[in-house]
Amino acid sequence: MDDIQAVNALVRRCVTGDAAAWQEIVQQYHRRIYNLCYRFSGSPDDAADLTQEVFIKMYRTLSTFDTTRASFMTWVTTVTRNLLVDHFRKGKYDRITDSLEATPGNQDDGLSLAEKLEDHSAGPEARMRSQEAQKLVHQALRKLSPELREAVILRDLQDMDYKDIALVLKVPEGTVKSRINRGRTELARLLQRSYRQVS
Amino acid sequence: MRSENQSEMQCVECEGLLAEAIDGGLHGTTLAAFEAHQQSCPACRTMVEEATAGLHWLKGLDEVEPPRHLVHNILAQTIGALPSEHAVVSPRGEGWLDKVKGRLAPIFAPVATPRFAMSFGMAFFSITLLLSIAGLHLSDLRRLDLSSKGIAKTYSSTQARVIRYYDNLRLVYEIESRVRDLRRVAAPEKQQPEEPAPKTQPKSDNQQDKNRTNQNYSRDANQPELAASPAGNEPGMKDLTNQARLNRRIA
Repeated sequence: MDDIQAVNALVRRCVTGDAAAWQEIVQQYHRRIYNLCYRFSGSPDDAADLTQEVFIKMYRTLSTFDTTRASFMTWVTTVTRNLLVDHFRKGKYDRITDSLEATPGNQDDGLSLAEKLEDHSAGPEARMRSQEAQKLVHQALRKLSPELREAVILRDLQDMDYKDIALVLKVPEGTVKSRINRGRTELARLLQRSYRQVS
Repeated sequence: MRSENQSEMQCVECEGLLAEAIDGGLHGTTLAAFEAHQQSCPACRTMVEEATAGLHWLKGLDEVEPPRHLVHNILAQTIGALPSEHAVVSPRGEGWLDKVKGRLAPIFAPVATPRFAMSFGMAFFSITLLLSIAGLHLSDLRRLDLSSKGIAKTYSSTQARVIRYYDNLRLVYEIESRVRDLRRVAAPEKQQPEEPAPKTQPKSDNQQDKNRTNQNYSRDANQPELAASPAGNEPGMKDLTNQARLNRRIA
């Protein structure tokens, strides 16, 4: 509760033209917004550009933030999500349609994505320790439809609760849960299918 | 109990509770019913397994580190200021050139990007191309006369050149000649009903009659017509003088 009040006070200071308050907001939220943009767009350069655009938009519309309607975090996420959707609709960040069988990006070691997933040690968590496996999951995440992708990103990567996600996505809570289930299931299927093809 | 749970929990309900079940949000009888349904329904069991695996994959993703200059760029684009910890500090012993560079670097950081450089290059190329097509050269700027007379002269010569160019255009010339032809054709058609009596001619006759009338009014009615003077013409001064002499001799 104190955190919420502190953030609201920070926003109020910022609206009155306090540059230091704005600097604090940027320092506090840039990492989260960058990660959200990166996981949605899939590209570090696009994520950096989008993060800057989000903050420019926030700076211009900060006075419209209503403390009684939602938390500042929810508002920031909503602004980010709307911008991402706008960019997606423009066709800038379309779904990646390359196969999991394709050799990824710069890592030209001759192994397909499915081969890299073939790690028989322990469980999924153990596999995720490797940087390579993270890339594979990241690429699989980009193959999800935007609706499912944004739902699982907000829930599982941004740790937002269902109620806030429903506010951000402007859909009922039941729809949010359904999308999260489908997103998680589809992601697991994408990764497992490739694994089965190899084995 | 198991059969009761089976009858209570349907696949749709199981799917609805799936997210909360994986997040550990189910308790008591609901959780028991959910687990019992999983035992009896292979489809739902597979769904739960896949969703759990998907969650674990996602949770394994680490937070990525934003670029170093992201905060700096954001602040430069919003409030145009540098963050305190990112402020450029020139180390001791640097020359003045390095200091200037150090101060200018953050200012030009937003524009010193490949994208901006590419846009600038394209704009420069386009402008240069347009100027060369228009026949303008930068070397011509040296010979520019910027005095008031020079500007006026340039203005008038340019205007004349434009008018000449316009008049010499084949299209303009053809349109003008067509318009002239049309006028020529249209003019007789309009005048045809009044053809028997041209407008200008009667006007001049009337004027002559008027003059003649004026001439008659100016002359005395009893004044005799002089033999020497031509009929209908005003007598000259010489004729009048001769007439007076003749009259005196007769008298």
